[in-house]
Amino acid sequence: MAPGGFFGRALLVDVGGREATGTPFELTERVLRSYLGGVGLGTWLLHRLAPPGVDPLAPAAPLAFVFSSLVGTPLTTSAKFAVVAKSPLTGLLTDALASSQFAISGKLTGHDALVIRGRADELSVLLIDGDGVRLEPAPDLAGLAAGEAETAAKSRFGRNWRTAAIGAAGERGVRYATISHDGRHAGRGGLGAVLGAKNIKAVLVRAATKVSVADQAGVLAAARDLRKRSFGPATAKYRELGTLANLLAFNAVSTLPTRNFTAATFEGAPQLAAEELHELRGVARNSCASCSIGCEHIYSRKGGGGQRMEYENVFALGPLCGVSDPDDVFAASARCDELGIDTISAGGTIAWAMECVERGLIDEPWLRFGDGKAVLRALDAIGTRSPGLGELLAQGSRRAAEAVGHGSIDFAPQVKGLELPGYEPRSLQSMALGLAVNARGADHNRSGAYEADLSGELDRFDGGAAHVAAAVGTEDRAAVMDSMILCKFLRGVFDDPFTEWARLLALVTGWPLDADELRGAARRIVRAKRAFNLREGATAADDTLPARMLETPLELGSGRSAVLDADRLRSMIAGYYAARGLDEEGRIAAADLEDLLLDA
Amino acid sequence: MGKPKAWLEWHGSTLLYRATAVLARTVGGPVVVVAAPGQELPPLPSGVTVVEDPVEGLGPMQGLAVGLAAVADRAETAFVCSTDLPFLHPAFVRCVLRGLASGPDVVLPVARGFRQPLAAGYRTALAGLVADLLAEGDLRPGMLFKHCEVAQLSDEQLLADTALARHDPMLESVVNVNTPEDYAAARDRPPPEIVVECFGALAKKGGHRPRGVRTATLGAAAASVGLTLDRHVVAALNGDQITRDELLPLVAGDVVSFLSADAGG
Repeated sequence: MAPGGFFGRALLVDVGGREATGTPFELTERVLRSYLGGVGLGTWLLHRLAPPGVDPLAPAAPLAFVFSSLVGTPLTTSAKFAVVAKSPLTGLLTDALASSQFAISGKLTGHDALVIRGRADELSVLLIDGDGVRLEPAPDLAGLAAGEAETAAKSRFGRNWRTAAIGAAGERGVRYATISHDGRHAGRGGLGAVLGAKNIKAVLVRAATKVSVADQAGVLAAARDLRKRSFGPATAKYRELGTLANLLAFNAVSTLPTRNFTAATFEGAPQLAAEELHELRGVARNSCASCSIGCEHIYSRKGGGGQRMEYENVFALGPLCGVSDPDDVFAASARCDELGIDTISAGGTIAWAMECVERGLIDEPWLRFGDGKAVLRALDAIGTRSPGLGELLAQGSRRAAEAVGHGSIDFAPQVKGLELPGYEPRSLQSMALGLAVNARGADHNRSGAYEADLSGELDRFDGGAAHVAAAVGTEDRAAVMDSMILCKFLRGVFDDPFTEWARLLALVTGWPLDADELRGAARRIVRAKRAFNLREGATAADDTLPARMLETPLELGSGRSAVLDADRLRSMIAGYYAARGLDEEGRIAAADLEDLLLDA
Repeated sequence: MGKPKAWLEWHGSTLLYRATAVLARTVGGPVVVVAAPGQELPPLPSGVTVVEDPVEGLGPMQGLAVGLAAVADRAETAFVCSTDLPFLHPAFVRCVLRGLASGPDVVLPVARGFRQPLAAGYRTALAGLVADLLAEGDLRPGMLFKHCEVAQLSDEQLLADTALARHDPMLESVVNVNTPEDYAAARDRPPPEIVVECFGALAKKGGHRPRGVRTATLGAAAASVGLTLDRHVVAALNGDQITRDELLPLVAGDVVSFLSADAGG
């Protein structure tokens, strides 16, 4: 019998020709307890199911939707799932989390994960419920935005189906295309391109069963308590202004990446700030499924309509491209949502191209920093993979820089191929380490080390041993939260996170977990991600930052300069390897590989 | 004045805490207090160390020798000051230390009509020379200046520094407290004028816009906008250091940004 909250099986869906078949795949209690679910379990599944060296866009490459024991419980923010695959952008493991009813319905098909392989003959939708799996041709959905495809699918198959869909960019193989559902996105690493390569426009799931938890009364009590705490000061920022509250604050502390990381303060920041926009615009709030925080802030747009705005899309399509007109940024964000592309990678790649134009490396004189209309035009070119610029930028900044040459890789804002989020590494040096070593590439959600930099408890300009400890600690906490799965916006409500998380998981699963076991799971998950990347050819040389960050001091608003040279970063990376029990080349010891249960 | 100078209170700090904390937030290197034998000191900022002067009664030259020797292995230059400078501004310290870059052994301000050997810059390599002079019975700083290269900075030269001219146009950085009247006058002075900004959930109805307040410490600045520095609230000083140190001294022209500690997303 499966532990509480789990079914003890995944469903392997093989798509081929005009049909799909589903095969149960046992997930032992040992594997579930070792990897928890979500990102952790998805990583283990990729180890088991992705052929070594597989092309991420090949039929054999698996794409996994992975749930967790908490999905479907009344615990706030638990309606989440992880999408895990080998990334077409990085060639390494990628995982993206998202929240929606898709998580609950997908799990209640009776599976802890849905893994899709193969390729349909024509653009299709894949349906999964208690009756099994089936493929339906959907050529009429070609080119539609994900939201439009979702509406069309519901109209065709019924409202009790939940949909995850791709936009035109996913169909066309843009390497940073997203998978979307209920207006939310599994955004990073090009998962939409993986689904598109399978000729699947949308995955539809319908609940068919129930799942029991070990201690129903205990879970209900814990849910009430967590909900109450979710209204406290630790989440006030997200409730009141949303993540866009970061923008003006980051500008004030010289960590708002601007004009392709050539500056960390932006003169146009006040125009884009949540504090200002809340005074000038109508703002509606919304929540993910099963969430009591309600971080989504949807701003009214000139000319009608609204657009959900987050810090990362505003940073990437605003300051990073030198754009300060909020309506231009709103329009660009909306266009990314319509096309189904990751705003961070899109903004980073366009900002890199703007700098290339300035330097005379790309002959597109209209593509200039500060021109919001040019950003829109570039997004359209990317979404349609138009010959020339669109095709180039659809590959992401690393591949584009390799094609353009002339040292442009030095200022391509990426690590391992994934574009940097809105955290300036030179003025956040714990974060710099986190960005450099993270398995997914430059990523702020799997390594939230900026928390330490912004805590006032260490010198954010002088990375050293304390920063290593902070990066390891935040990476461990993220590994557990992303696997159990709870929204990270809740992280501040936990006074003793591992102990409290162990208690929650124990109530759901019935496992007698404690904090130490969860810490062990965190280390295992982080190592398993690295092990996958090593298997796919990653080396210690991939754990670095763009040359610009290591060679060019950053002017601070205070008049000082922030410097992060290669020696300092290498020293922190060596400390990280030691803390993770890796050798000097970032490899995993054979004894530790056994703990990963890769043959289980 | 009723108590040793180091213990005198000025707008929420002791004079010694304020002087050492102003130096700590200004210089990149160590901050050392030279104490008389057995002298009881008020609490100091974290990271500030104390060295004891082994000989009592030899005046500032002895303290100078001990202090320079204490940091000589970690710094080539040092700003040396007395404990009783409530208006010391970082711009003054930076201006003086910058003067050492051109090579003199000492940068000696001649400000407000007086030489200021206890608000001056020294090469730490002078420690041995100072000790030798003391051994020969030369207890006055003037004797040191005869044996080394001294660059004097006049009022005009000091105020050529635009930051110093903007934030301390009367060169009050060198105003010390020697009598009860001096102390009373210093206490009657209002705290420095600074600028406060609040961001994110801390900003209520336009609260993110800069506003001027008069306050001498970070904790008082937080209180002035209804905040308490705790696990959810941090402050950035001039867009640079991030801290929760309520006792951090503020000086004229500072910009304090209060941020939600729950950063990210």
